[in-house]
Amino acid sequence: MSEPNRSSPPNAPMRRGRLVAATLGSLALAALIVLGAILPAEFNRDPLGLGRLSGLSRLWAPEDRLVGGEAAGVARAREYDAPFRTDVIEIPLGDFLAGADRSELEYKVRMRKDATLIYSWEVVGTDEPRDFHFDQHGHTTPKPGEAMTVATHRQAFGLKQHGALTAPFDGIQGWQFSNSSEKPVVVKLRLAGFYELIPPGQAGNEAGVIANVPADRARPR
Amino acid sequence: MGRGLSATRAAAAALGLLALGWAGAALAHNIGGTDAAFVAATRGPDPIPFMYLGAKHMVTGYDHLLFLVGVIFFLCRLSQVALYVSLFSLGHSITLLAGVFFDIHADPHLVDAVIGLSVAYKAFENLGGFRIVFGVQPDPRAAVLGFGLIHGFGLATKLQALNLNPEGLLANLIAFNVGVEIGQFLALALILAAMSLWRRTSMFGSTAAGANVMLMLAGFVLAGHQLAGYIFGGAAS
Repeated sequence: MSEPNRSSPPNAPMRRGRLVAATLGSLALAALIVLGAILPAEFNRDPLGLGRLSGLSRLWAPEDRLVGGEAAGVARAREYDAPFRTDVIEIPLGDFLAGADRSELEYKVRMRKDATLIYSWEVVGTDEPRDFHFDQHGHTTPKPGEAMTVATHRQAFGLKQHGALTAPFDGIQGWQFSNSSEKPVVVKLRLAGFYELIPPGQAGNEAGVIANVPADRARPR
Repeated sequence: MGRGLSATRAAAAALGLLALGWAGAALAHNIGGTDAAFVAATRGPDPIPFMYLGAKHMVTGYDHLLFLVGVIFFLCRLSQVALYVSLFSLGHSITLLAGVFFDIHADPHLVDAVIGLSVAYKAFENLGGFRIVFGVQPDPRAAVLGFGLIHGFGLATKLQALNLNPEGLLANLIAFNVGVEIGQFLALALILAAMSLWRRTSMFGSTAAGANVMLMLAGFVLAGHQLAGYIFGGAAS
């Protein structure tokens, strides 16, 4: 027998039937390995049910996707020395005919930079969102001659707001609430986190709102 | 039984090959982790590290190694080995360089599936399958060159998956390619040594066919794994 190319086996190869059987057999075994072992272990698919039977399915785990521990330079998980506190503030606001003195005010709390405030407020007394405006913002409290740093968080009409705030600087953070409806309303504001209430009459609470009392006692004239 | 498949001995000898195939299927064969970060950070020519990456990719690339095992399985003379390996190198160099340089994209899973099939093809050819079953014998040199082109595409897709900087791209590519050849040479030396030891034993004749069947199996498993990756997505490759 001549040797047309040397890459074929020099020894007598398998007979035809055996070769076909070996080829089909290895194809079938490969399919079994892929369907019964690789799919359950690597791809979380188990078409034959063998992954569950053999426990191979337990090998599969979703890939971890690491997320940065910081958002805008602030750690997502933070700890504070300041005491944790919660307050409920009921703020009565007169109708718009009562004048700006009674129908709008500013209520803020004092926060250290990167401190967190959780807040939730809603307006009781009107169902018309277009009648109530709020301006959520914060600023530093500079000494005379210093510039003031200001951060505007949200300005909108609406009857409620729920969220969290991370203070961008040492200063005061809060809301200007304006009632333009024909009825007096009460803003029920709940706060939690790391902040300090501002005593009545000081910057941020010029309206003299008293916290943690019912609305009828919150704004003594 | 006799000459073709002496079942137990064939199985024993071929188990190693099967293990190789399995490891190949299980091992992530991408350039990953800190290597990927390095490549992404590279600007300008940086030949030595890229050479290392090419060599590393080849030496740890079970699909390429299994194909090489198939190619040299029945090549006894060194000149024959040199010819076939050169054809393989020529093929994969063309597509590696052209694929990355001209930004030709192909799905990595599909390319790797064809690479798996190339292993099965070579094993089937080693078994004389084309001659015996189909009555034809495709030129094995053309096949090695052709599959070399496919393997090169596989290498290209791995590099393309990284953020290659256009600065110094050609130099780094060529360095990577040189590394691939070095890695292939190192792997080949080991494979050749093991093969010639095996050939000298009396059991080579009775285990060779079985080993090629196992090689074929490994190729099918690799192909199946990559097809699963293509269908179900996921990073495992």
